[in-house]
Amino acid sequence: MPKIDLRSLSAGCALALVLAAALPAQAEDTLTVWFTKGFYKGEDDALLALIDRYQKSTGVKVELSLYSTEDCIVKSVAAVEAGTPPDVGYCTTYDFRTTGQWAYEGKLEDVSDVINPIKDQFQPDALATTFLMNGKTGQKAYYAFPIERQTMHIFYWKDMLQDAGFSEADIPGTWNEYWDFWCDKVQGALRAKGKRIYGIGQPMSVAASDTFFSFLTWANAYNVKIVDESGKIVLDQPENRAAMIEAVKSYSSIFTRGCTPPSSVNWLDTDNNVNFHNKTTVLTDNATISIPGKHLDDSTNPSLTEEQRAQAKKNYEENIRTAYFPKKPDGGTLPNLAATKTAVIFADSKNKAQAKEFMAFMMKDENLTPFVEGSVGRWYPVTKSGAARPFWTDGTDPHRAVVSKQFTGGTVPFPFVYNYHFTTVNAENVWAKALNRVVQDGVSPDQAVDEMIARIKEIAG
Amino acid sequence: MTATTVHAIPAAARRSHRRTWTIWGAILLAPYVAVLLVLVAYPVGYGLYLGANPASYRRLFADPIFLTAAVNTILFLLIAVNVKMVIALGLSGFFAVPRWWIRLLLVLFILPWAVPSIPTILSFRVMLNPETGLINQQLFQLFDIFEGPPWLTDPWLAFFGAVVVHIWKSLPFWTLILLTGRLAIARDLYEAASVDGASRWQRFRFVTWPSVAALYVTSVILSTIWTLGDFNSVYLLTGGGPNDSTQVLATLGIRYLRNNALDLGVASIIVAMPLVLPLVFVMVKRLSKGGEA
Repeated sequence: MPKIDLRSLSAGCALALVLAAALPAQAEDTLTVWFTKGFYKGEDDALLALIDRYQKSTGVKVELSLYSTEDCIVKSVAAVEAGTPPDVGYCTTYDFRTTGQWAYEGKLEDVSDVINPIKDQFQPDALATTFLMNGKTGQKAYYAFPIERQTMHIFYWKDMLQDAGFSEADIPGTWNEYWDFWCDKVQGALRAKGKRIYGIGQPMSVAASDTFFSFLTWANAYNVKIVDESGKIVLDQPENRAAMIEAVKSYSSIFTRGCTPPSSVNWLDTDNNVNFHNKTTVLTDNATISIPGKHLDDSTNPSLTEEQRAQAKKNYEENIRTAYFPKKPDGGTLPNLAATKTAVIFADSKNKAQAKEFMAFMMKDENLTPFVEGSVGRWYPVTKSGAARPFWTDGTDPHRAVVSKQFTGGTVPFPFVYNYHFTTVNAENVWAKALNRVVQDGVSPDQAVDEMIARIKEIAG
Repeated sequence: MTATTVHAIPAAARRSHRRTWTIWGAILLAPYVAVLLVLVAYPVGYGLYLGANPASYRRLFADPIFLTAAVNTILFLLIAVNVKMVIALGLSGFFAVPRWWIRLLLVLFILPWAVPSIPTILSFRVMLNPETGLINQQLFQLFDIFEGPPWLTDPWLAFFGAVVVHIWKSLPFWTLILLTGRLAIARDLYEAASVDGASRWQRFRFVTWPSVAALYVTSVILSTIWTLGDFNSVYLLTGGGPNDSTQVLATLGIRYLRNNALDLGVASIIVAMPLVLPLVFVMVKRLSKGGEA
């Protein structure tokens, strides 16, 4: 066994320590960015191109990680709690679950200095989602960047409707008659032909954000007011409680009547899409036009056969319809419940100045627009100029034309915009729990709503 | 050179030699210690730190989902471990028979344990889908049954589905363990028992069981510890649904993490420690006693 030269060993250790100390210094030239992976290649390509331009213009290296929708939020929450968040985070469910709470808890960087100079370029509804209260300072400021928007749309298979013996002219425009049409008439006619299908794909699962988006849209149809503009809970007021009971009764009746697949109580966010694509359901609602978008994407997918691409093109252009919701039960027009997806810079970021520089770069029209449009219409722009582009307004695309009309017709925000605790209410999916209490446990809608109100008051009261 | 000087040199050389070995020992042990500190001590310590707030436990115990998960965990352990080990004990007797086709069957039998969990359990999930799954589709096509059994949408069926998946996945491993125990029993004992006219049951009761009992009990304890941490069987099959009705303690943590409540997630793991730690202690004691025997 050779004798150890302790001087050599000490020199080696010292070198290792110097190298370890040098690593943090190197890290300052690297920006850590976490994004949700896009559904479409175009989104990710646009992001990579944006990052490439940023790196070339600034010399700052960007370490990008792309995660699935669920992984992104789980990793972000864990990283924030551990005090090691990325510099920039953009998960497509931040707005639903975390942004408001993080802002209140002082875990986000104030980005008013980036937003204020450019705030006129945004649609006011979109920007409002990012103007949040910081509980530590007691002040509101901009704590997030609006990136893209979404609202609910109806989708149905025109060819299945025709197969059932109906045309689009037969579809009622009033609330109850509309759902009865798909549930009783269309479903009934197709089942009489021996098809194992369901008229409506209605998300019911506590594990899906689609459920609360869909249900809160229905609640709006019944004029349910949950919070006022100061964030105070008003759901417990008699008229709002009664309206919520009607909404729960109506929504859950789709399941109890057998009009939606029984597996909808277990659906994740992609499952209503999957059931629609494989024609298990004739109609579904969804918070983006990713449903027809999938077929648009397939129509140019080189890994598919010529026949498959042609069928996908036909589905996009002819067979799938993007439609508006019917009139509310009181005859009024249903307001469009819209959400704005938010990117954030974390208070524990090691490179805040560079993170702000990166986000200011991303917010430029020439960078943000390709990113949004790369999603082939799945997301709607947050900027006025983006919304005015021919991509949305020239009317050549039947699906995007509906989306554009819904947004320009006016939107209403989610309750969490007024009371950040509703991000927790959404994360816990108190809404889906109430629905499942009715359909799984057999409790009355009144009891389910009272339990819902009690839980909401515990969380957000 | 004096006599004292002659004796002093070897002693100094011995000390230097011992110091060299000590230093080399420390150097070679250092990576293991570093890994232990970074991958075990730090995460466990940090987890205990995150779970140190008593208010987290008050909130945890007030959540009705926690009670559901705790009850489900106990049921899961009682049913899955006992059913699995009894079947494994029986199957180990079958696989101990020296036939070429039984050996071939053993190879096939091991496959569920050998293949990765994610694709296999997700395959179960797809197969049990009430509308599009293989089973209900066949029931519809062959027997015109429109609404087949609600495999994953009825809370009890979903729960027992997760138990069955767990047993299916882990049974081969425990069967092999008990098989090795059986194969270690001397053939002479069985021959002597046969000569004495012992029935099959008597051979099991008086020859096999006394020989494998210790191994069986140790396996039950170890299986309980591992089953307590079985995340995949529930998460991949049911996701904890429908309506959080099949959550167990192992899956509750990820649910709280998704709900931006990391402290509750950690607390839901720590509450299992009063069950895990005594089991580990008993295991270690049994293993050390086994060594002495």
